[in-house]
Amino acid sequence: MASIPVPDISLGAIAPEITLALTAVVALMLEVFAEKKGRDHIAYISLVGVIVACFITFRLAGDPSWTTFSGLYVVDRFGQFFKLICLLGTGMTILVSVKYNKDEGIDNGEYYALLLFATSGMLFMVSGSDMITIFMGLEVMSISLYALAGYTRKRARSNEASVKYFILGSLSTAFLLYGIALIYGSTGSTQIDIIAKAVSSGSGVEAVLDLGIVMLMIGFAFKVSAVPFHMWTPDVYQGAPTPVTAFMSAGPKAAAFAAFFRVFNVAFPSLQADWWVIIWILAVATMTVGNVIALLQNDVKRMLAYSSIAHAGYILVGFVAGGALGSSAIMYYMLVYTFMNIGAFAIVTVVGRKGEEKTKFSDFTGLGYRYPLMAVALVIFLFSLAGIPPTAGFVGKFYIFMAALKHGYVYLAVIGVVNSVISIFYYLRLSVMMYMQDEPGEDLPPLVFAPSLIAVMIVAIYGSLWLGIMPAGYISFAQSAFLAL
Amino acid sequence: MELLIFYMFAIVSVAFAIFMIVARKPVSSAISLIGVMFCLAVFYVLLNAHLIAALQILVYAGAIMVLFLFVIMLLNLREKQGAISYHRTALQLAGVAVFCALLVPFMSMVTIPGTSGGAGVSADFGTTAGVGKLLYTDFLLPFEIASILLLAALVGAVALTKLKMK
Amino acid sequence: MLGLENIWLVPILPLIGAIVNGLFGKFMSKSSVTLWAVGSTGLSFFIAVIAFLNLLSLDARDRVFEKILFTWIQAGSFTAQAGIQIDPLSAIFLLIVTGVGFLIHVYSIGYMSHEEGYARYFAYLNLFMFSMLLLILGNNFLLMFIGWEGVGLCSYLLIGYYYEKDSASNAGKKAFVMNRIGDFGFLLAIMWIFWTFGSIDYTTVFPSASQVLPAGGFAVTGITLLLFLGATGKSAQIPLYTWLPDAMEGPTPVSALIHAATMVTAGVYMVTRCNALFNLAPTSMIVVALIGAATALFAATMGLYQNDIKRVLAYSTVSQLGYMFLACGVGAYVAAVFHVMTHAFFKACLFLGSGSVIHGMSGEQDMRQMGGLKSKMPITHMTMLISALAISGIPIFAGFFSKDEILLSAFLGHTKGNLVYWILATVAAAVTAFYMFRLYYMTFSGELRAEDQHVRDHVHESPNVMTVPLIILAFGAAFAGFLGLPIIEGGHALNNFLGPVFHTPGAPEHPHASLGLELFLMGFSVSVAVLGILVARHFYYVRPEAATEMAAKGGFIKTVYTTLQNKYYIDEIYDVVIVKPVVSFSRSFLWKIFDVKIVDGFVNSIASFVTDLSSLLRKSQTGMVRNYALAMALGGVFFVGLWILALGN
Repeated sequence: MASIPVPDISLGAIAPEITLALTAVVALMLEVFAEKKGRDHIAYISLVGVIVACFITFRLAGDPSWTTFSGLYVVDRFGQFFKLICLLGTGMTILVSVKYNKDEGIDNGEYYALLLFATSGMLFMVSGSDMITIFMGLEVMSISLYALAGYTRKRARSNEASVKYFILGSLSTAFLLYGIALIYGSTGSTQIDIIAKAVSSGSGVEAVLDLGIVMLMIGFAFKVSAVPFHMWTPDVYQGAPTPVTAFMSAGPKAAAFAAFFRVFNVAFPSLQADWWVIIWILAVATMTVGNVIALLQNDVKRMLAYSSIAHAGYILVGFVAGGALGSSAIMYYMLVYTFMNIGAFAIVTVVGRKGEEKTKFSDFTGLGYRYPLMAVALVIFLFSLAGIPPTAGFVGKFYIFMAALKHGYVYLAVIGVVNSVISIFYYLRLSVMMYMQDEPGEDLPPLVFAPSLIAVMIVAIYGSLWLGIMPAGYISFAQSAFLAL
Repeated sequence: MELLIFYMFAIVSVAFAIFMIVARKPVSSAISLIGVMFCLAVFYVLLNAHLIAALQILVYAGAIMVLFLFVIMLLNLREKQGAISYHRTALQLAGVAVFCALLVPFMSMVTIPGTSGGAGVSADFGTTAGVGKLLYTDFLLPFEIASILLLAALVGAVALTKLKMK
Repeated sequence: MLGLENIWLVPILPLIGAIVNGLFGKFMSKSSVTLWAVGSTGLSFFIAVIAFLNLLSLDARDRVFEKILFTWIQAGSFTAQAGIQIDPLSAIFLLIVTGVGFLIHVYSIGYMSHEEGYARYFAYLNLFMFSMLLLILGNNFLLMFIGWEGVGLCSYLLIGYYYEKDSASNAGKKAFVMNRIGDFGFLLAIMWIFWTFGSIDYTTVFPSASQVLPAGGFAVTGITLLLFLGATGKSAQIPLYTWLPDAMEGPTPVSALIHAATMVTAGVYMVTRCNALFNLAPTSMIVVALIGAATALFAATMGLYQNDIKRVLAYSTVSQLGYMFLACGVGAYVAAVFHVMTHAFFKACLFLGSGSVIHGMSGEQDMRQMGGLKSKMPITHMTMLISALAISGIPIFAGFFSKDEILLSAFLGHTKGNLVYWILATVAAAVTAFYMFRLYYMTFSGELRAEDQHVRDHVHESPNVMTVPLIILAFGAAFAGFLGLPIIEGGHALNNFLGPVFHTPGAPEHPHASLGLELFLMGFSVSVAVLGILVARHFYYVRPEAATEMAAKGGFIKTVYTTLQNKYYIDEIYDVVIVKPVVSFSRSFLWKIFDVKIVDGFVNSIASFVTDLSSLLRKSQTGMVRNYALAMALGGVFFVGLWILALGN
C-alpha cells in the first residue's frame, strides 16, 4: 500500500482558533460542574481565552505571509488585523453579557461556548485562502449566531429573530455555495490564488465564472447586510438579545468583509473593472437606504440596526476604492466601528432594563441629567457613529472617502458625504432626547452599572476618542497590514 | 448513453422539485423531495462520485428524510385550506419567465468545451479511498472545522430547546 | 520660555478647564469652577499676548511659525500633520478670541451667578474657546474643520442651554440644520482641495495654488464657492442666516462671545485664510461681495422693527458680517480683518451691555418695556453709547475706521459692479445708525415703561465683575480704530502687519484714491450715519409718540391728511415715503416671506422629502420572511442580469 503524503501542517498557525474552541469546551464543562449561583467565572474564563487568542494572534509572524494546510489557510497581517478586531468584539461582548445574562436568566456556559465557537469560525473565515475554508468558517459562525439570536427563548421576538435569520441565512448560504460550485466548475479549483491564475489566463468557462462571481457576491452581501440583502438585519438585530446584537454587528461583519475583500481582490483582480460597478451600486444603495430608514425609527435598537446597515455601506465605499489605501481604510473603519457600536449597544443593555422593555427613544429622555457620565459616553459613541470630529468615526469616514477620491470615485465620495450628513440627524435626535426634560412618569429603580460594563464603556470610549485624536499609529498599523496582492 | 440518462433524470428531478413545492400535502412534498435526492444521487454516479452518491442516498434520502416524515406526522399537519389565488400564481409565473429570459443569453454565452469526459480526473476520483485521502490530507482543515461546526450546532440546538432557563 | 514654541498651550489650557469643569464641576464649589474656567482662559490670553509680542519682534517676512505636534493621519501619500501655525492673520484672531473670551468669562461670573448648571456653562464655554483656537491655529484644513465643527457643537449646546424652553431647543436645532448645509460644502471643498493638491496643509496648498489651478477655472471656482457655502452657514449670510437671530435664546454672554465676536467670524477667517484661492476665482469673488453687500443691507433693514433688544443686535451682527464679506469680495482682506477686530469690541460691548440691561430689568428683553435707564445704569449707558457710536461709524470711534475702509475699497474696487456694492453698503450704514440709536433711545432715554412693579423696583446697575469688562470693551470700541488710520499711509499699522499674508499671486492691486476723494467719501458716509442717528433721535427721543402714531395710522390718504396738518410734515413724509415702506417691506416681505417661507421652507422641504422617502422605504420592511427572501431573489436577478447584459464583456 502506497504511503499517503501528509501535507505541510502547522498547528501553530491555527493556535488562536484552537484556543477558542478549547475554551468553549471548558465553558461547557464548567457549566456542568459549576455551582448554581455565581457563574460569572465562566464569562471571565472565556474572556481569558479570548485574550490568550489575541496574544497568540499578535505574536504570529505574518510578514511575509505564508500558507499552511496545503494552501487552505494563510497567515498574513491582513488576517491578523481582522482577527484582532473579531477578538476585540468578542471580548467586549462577553463583558457586556455578564450582567445582562444574569438579569435575563440565561447565564449558561452554552452562551459563552457559542460566542467562542462563532469567533473561531470568524477567524477561520478571515484567514481562509480557499473557498472551502472560508465557507466552513462562515457556517460555524452562522450556526452559532442563529442559536444566539434566539437565546432568550421566552421572548417571542427573539424566537422570531432566530428563525428568520436561519431561513434567510440558509438561502444566502445557498447562493454562496452555488457561487463557489460554479467558480470551481469554471476554474477547477477552490483555492483563491489558483482561481486567480485561471481567471487571468482566461482558461475558465467565462459565463459560468461570471454567474459564480455574482452568486458569491450575493452570499457575502447578505452577511455584511448590504441592500437589497439587508432585510433580515433590522428584525434580527431588534429581536436578538442586545449583547448578541452588539456582537453580530461587529465581529461577524468584520469577518465577512475580510473574506469578501480577500476573495475578490486575490481571486478576481483581473475582473475588477467589472465587479466594482456592482459593489458601487451596493454601496450607494446600502448607505442611502440604511440612513434614510433610520431617520424615522423610534426604537433605539432598530435605529442602530439601520445605522449598522449604513455603516456597511461606508465600508463598501472603501471596498470599491480598493488598493492599499482602500483596504487599510476598511480595516481602520472596522476597528473604530467595533469600539463605538459595541459601546452604544452596551448602554442600550443598561437602559433597556430587564426584558429589554425600555429601548424606545422616549425611554432615553432625561438620562443626561440622571446619569450624566453615561449620557456623555453615549453621546461620544453616537457622535463617533455620525462622524463628527474629533471622534474616531470622523477619521474613519474621512479616510474611506479619501481613498475613494484618490482612486477617482468622486461621485461615490460625494454620495457618502451626503449620507453622513443625513445620518447626523438621527444620532443627534437620540443625543438631544437624553438632554430633554423628563416627564414625571412611573418611578423606575435606578439603573445598575456592573463593573464589567463600566470596563467595556471605558474601552469603547478610549477607542472612539483616542483613535480619532491620535489615529496615526493605528492607521499605520492597518497600512502595514493591508492585503499584499 | 450517459447523456440520455442525464437528461432523463434531469427532467424527472425538476418535475419532482416542482411537485414538491406545488403539493398541498406535506407528506407528498416530503416524498417528492426524496425523489429529488435519488435523482441527484444518479448525477453523482454519472460524475464518477460514487461515495457521494452512496452518502446521498444513505444520509439525505434515508436518515434525514425519515426524520422529516416523522416530524410531519408528529405535528399532524393538515392540508392547507383555501383556494389558490390565480392572480398571484400568474405573477409568480411571470417572475419565473423573466428569470428564464435572463438565463437565455447566459446559456448562449456558455461555450461547451468539447468533450470533458472526466479529463484530468485521477483514477481514484470519487472512490472512498480517494475521498478519504483528500479529506485527511489536502482538505484536513475544513474537515476539522466541520467538527467544531457540528459541536456548535449541537450546543445551539440544545440551548434553543432543552436548556433550563430561569 | 513663553515664546512661540509654547503657543500650543493657548488652546490646551481652556481644554483642561473644560475637562475639569465638565467632569468634576458638579462636585466643586462655584469659586473653584470659576478659578479653573476663568483662570485657564486668562492664562491662555497671557500666553497669546506674549506670543504676539514675540511675533512682532520678528522680521516682517519671517512672521510665520509652524510647529508640527504629531502626525495625525498617515495614509499612503496622504499625510495630515496636526500642528499649530501662527502668522499675522491668526495672531490677530488669536488676540481677539482670547482677549474678548477672557473678558466674557469674567463677565459671566456675574451674569450666570444665579443660574443653574454653572459648571456646565463654563465647561461649554471653555470647550468653545478650545475649538475656536484650534480653528484659528490649525495648520491644515482638517484641523480647521475640526475646530469648525467643535465651535458649532458648543454653539448648539449653549443656544439650547435653557433646554426647558422649547424655543431654545428648537433654535439649537435650527442652527444645527443650517450649519450642516454649510459644513457639507466645507467638507466637499476640503476633499476637492485634497484631490487637486494631494495635500491639505496650508503650507503646501496656498503657495502652489496659482501653479496647480488655472485662474478662473472650474476647479478653483468650485472649491471657493463650496468654501464660501461653509462660510455662509457659520457666519450667517444669505441664505443661511436665519439661525442667528434665533440663537439669541442662549445666555447673553454666549451671544456676545459666540454669536457676535468670535464664532460667526470664523467664516471671515476662512475666506481670508484662503485668499490665495479666492484671488484666483473672480467669479467667486463677485459672489462673495454681492452676498456680503446684500446681507449687510438686508439684515440691517430687518433690524428696524425688532423690539427684542437682543434680536436687534443679532440682525446687526448679520449685517456687520455682511460688511466683512463685502470687504473680502473686493479683495480688501485687511479691511475685513480690521472690521472683525473693531466689531469684536463694539458688538461684544453692545451685547454685554444689553445683558447688563436685561440683568438689571430682571430678565426683560422687550425694549418697549424699557426706557430711562440712563440714570439708573450709568456705566452700562456710557459704554453702550460709545459702542453705538462706533457701530454707526462716527469718527474717532473704532467702527468708523474699519467701515470707512470697507466702503472705500468697495468704491475703488475694480471688480464689476463695485458701485452697486458701495451704494448698498452706504444705505446699510444709514439704516444701521438708525436702528442702533432707536435701540439706544428706547432703552436709555425717556421714562421707564415697565409695567411690572417688581421689575421697576429692582432696576440696578450690574456688579463690578460685569461692568469692568464693559468698560474695557468700550475702551477698545473707542480707540481700536487708530490701528488702521487710513489717511496717513505709513501709519496703517494693521496693513503693514497683515500685508504679507495677503500678498499672494493674483491679489488685486488696490488703486489709491486721491486724498480728496477719500475725504469726500468719508464725509459722505459720516453724514449718512449722522442722518440716521438724527432720524432715530427724532422718532424715539424728541417725539417718541411719532413712531407709535405712524404705526397706529391706517390708510394712505388719512396719513397724508394728518401729515399736512402736522408741522413736522417733512419728517413724516420721510417716514411715509421711506421709513414706513422699508419697515413694512422688511416686515411683510423680507421677514415673513423670504425668511420664513423661502429659506426655512427650503430647508423644511428637504427634511420632509427625506422623511417621506424614509416612511416609503420603511414599508418595504414587512416583517414577512418570504418577502425578504423575494427581495433577495430579485436583487440576485438584478445583479445577475446586470452582469450578463452590461458588464462581463
